[in-house]
Amino acid sequence: MKFAMPVLLGILPLAAQDIKMPANLDRLEAKASEVVNVQLDGALIQLASRFLSDKDPDEAHVKRLVGGLKGIYVKSFEFDERGQYSMSDVEELRAQLRAPLWARIVGASSKKKGENSEVYLKTEAGQITGLAIIVTDPKELTIVSIVGSIRPEDIRDLGGHMGIPKIDFETKKDKKDKEDDK
Amino acid sequence: MMDDFEKQLQAALGRKEPSPFFEARVLGAAKREARDRRASIRMWWASAVAAILIVAAGSAWQHQRSEQAREDAAGRDAKARLEVALRITSVKLQKISQKVEGI
Repeated sequence: MKFAMPVLLGILPLAAQDIKMPANLDRLEAKASEVVNVQLDGALIQLASRFLSDKDPDEAHVKRLVGGLKGIYVKSFEFDERGQYSMSDVEELRAQLRAPLWARIVGASSKKKGENSEVYLKTEAGQITGLAIIVTDPKELTIVSIVGSIRPEDIRDLGGHMGIPKIDFETKKDKKDKEDDK
Repeated sequence: MMDDFEKQLQAALGRKEPSPFFEARVLGAAKREARDRRASIRMWWASAVAAILIVAAGSAWQHQRSEQAREDAAGRDAKARLEVALRITSVKLQKISQKVEGI
């Protein structure tokens, strides 16, 4: 029992994080020109929520959105040079995102540009309990892990609110429609 | 001459009976003095306790204020980090949507 508590306390943060960020990502910080490392556990999310206004519609929306979250972990690296990280840095992470709990819902890659984007959802008892995003391109590596009940479209649709840029994009159909109009 | 002087001296140093309320006045004065001293000690203690209470209350208020300030700073920092995390996540998801929709 004496040893159980420290061991349990040691495991709890990992359990809360759900996905274990590969340790070798830390050494990329020295090579990257820009690094973003955000680690918010449930307590910090709740603390941040208290500073989100109920009167401001955008902040009230975010407050509801993050209300059911237990953790948000973001690691993003931008490099000046290509090839500063290896895919084995990412494979360790991908290995954790396996069925039956995890399912890759989106995988988009461009061989020409060397870009690869993946979105994974964790589902338990029919409920979404986690979201993971891995974006790699020759000069960038971004990993997002969100623990808790969240739908990807809810976060995507934050674009245009709370200072989050909204990216306007045209689908091939839009482009075709425009060309047809001309 | 000498006799006069002796008589005066005897009269001055001779035993005289105290006035009728002398003892009562002396005892009264002693009681007043003791009462004043006790009141003075009580006042001193009251002042000391009041000073200690004021210092303790001030210290507690200051502690609470600095705790509140620390919590406010931590909350604002957490909010800023939450916004950064949501911004990155939202932008990435929008770009992924763009790629998927554009296919």
